Amino acid sequence: MTAEAPASPPPASSPASSPRRAGSALVELEHVSKSYVAGTWALHDVSCTIAKGEFVFLTGASGAGKTTLLRLLFAAERPSEGRIRVLGMPIERLAARRVASLRRRIGVVFQDFKLLPGRSVEENVRIALDVAGVPSGESRARAFAALKQVGLQHRRHHEPLSLSGGEQQRVAIARALVNEPELLLADEPTGNLDPALTLEIFDLIAATAARGTTVVVATHDPAVLERYRRRTLRLEAGQVVEDRPGLGARG
Amino acid sequence: MAIAGSPIVQLRHFARSALAGLRASPLPAAIATLTIAVTLVLAGAFALLVRNMQGVIDRLGSEARITAYLAPGASDEALRSLVGQARALPGVAAVELVSPERARERFRKEGERQAALLDALGENPLPASIEVSVLPDHRSATAIASVAESLQGLAGVDEVSRAQDWVEGYARTVALLRAIGIGLAGVLGAATLFLVASTIRLALYTRRGEIDILALVGAGRAFIALPFLLEGVIEGLIGGVLAVATLFALWSAFLPSIAGGLELLLGGAPARFLLPAELGALVIAGVVLGGLGAALSLAGGWRR
Repeated sequence: MTAEAPASPPPASSPASSPRRAGSALVELEHVSKSYVAGTWALHDVSCTIAKGEFVFLTGASGAGKTTLLRLLFAAERPSEGRIRVLGMPIERLAARRVASLRRRIGVVFQDFKLLPGRSVEENVRIALDVAGVPSGESRARAFAALKQVGLQHRRHHEPLSLSGGEQQRVAIARALVNEPELLLADEPTGNLDPALTLEIFDLIAATAARGTTVVVATHDPAVLERYRRRTLRLEAGQVVEDRPGLGARG
Repeated sequence: MAIAGSPIVQLRHFARSALAGLRASPLPAAIATLTIAVTLVLAGAFALLVRNMQGVIDRLGSEARITAYLAPGASDEALRSLVGQARALPGVAAVELVSPERARERFRKEGERQAALLDALGENPLPASIEVSVLPDHRSATAIASVAESLQGLAGVDEVSRAQDWVEGYARTVALLRAIGIGLAGVLGAATLFLVASTIRLALYTRRGEIDILALVGAGRAFIALPFLLEGVIEGLIGGVLAVATLFALWSAFLPSIAGGLELLLGGAPARFLLPAELGALVIAGVVLGGLGAALSLAGGWRR
């Protein structure tokens, strides 16, 4: 439930803004370690639980293990040790076929947007719907709704490269949300954006969390942590050194 | 949320994605398509040659006759007995006795020179013979050889001659050409497979970003691989159709100028183009080459 890390005492209390009912855990990590090179740990003995509907920040310096942790959650990596359950699926022994079905229930947003340059904004969003086999008419309507949600419906026929960085990230968020995922993961989603755009993007993410989607965001931006004051897992050298409960400041 | 997805939606995605891929890298796609076409044109040309030459063999084979020349001075009774013995041989359909006089008449009819030659000799030099035609199921080279051998063993037979000797030589040539054709098609086919596989692998690399994104949003292996497979199949289909068109164009353009030589080669039989079914097989071979080449490169896998 809480991080088992040497340097951090467990929090004294669990405020209401940080629901942690073990029964509705969406993400569970038990003694998870990940090593890319023998003898060095990208993650080491991490245990924590994220409940359904929680909005959690992962923070820490570059190389602390935030990205590795996120990549484990959408099965882009397998743990070297330990057990991970995401949406009830065991990541450490998930067959390729089930990886695909897991990812259709997760939205992922990256620092570098990962949009296809040769396709229109709408087509970029519809890729997620094509994969899910949504019929053409419904797909167009849902892509429009997702783009409207991020305020870009009027740019749907543009190519991503003709948009600003903030707009491109909003397209990526629309793509991540268009299938109404149960879990939204974001890895430094504003790393390439200036402070004004950063808030714009985080407001979108917070709004998603407010609608009940479980959200895990990696960021090392103290301003963001200060502004949203949600539960924050701080990583250092691959270990969770602090699990600070949220204060429910603003969503 | 839909997970399985409707096949029509996915087909649309595959077709769109494959065509986008071909448009995105037209040069490798064109090289693969042309290589398939060239391989199929060569294979088709060999098939055309072998097919027409095989026609000659089939025709001559259906007229399979063996002539047994008889020792001179046999009595009529001995001749009749010989005809009876020949008729009783296994595989023999009919036996005809040709007297020296009839042989002379036939020879005379072949031309003025032959007639003059016979007249100059005065006495008829031609021996009596029996002409044996072989049952259809005994027209293989070995069966005919066996009939000829039996004839040779009959008392009173001087020499056995078979048009089959010539046919066999011709058949060996055709078999050799066919073997060369199959070998050449095999080598070219393997090289083509390798080239198609390389172009698809190139496409896999250039579109790795797209593959990563598809995998990220939950596309399965088949969903990611099928557009590339379809690309190979489209290249093969276009290559096959190009090959058929090229063969037909070459056939129409050059047939008049080589007709004389062909007639000699084919023993006067008219040269025939490939049948629709054979042309279809050529196009299918293209599709298989393209699809298999793509499958080969996909079997190597890609980064998730």
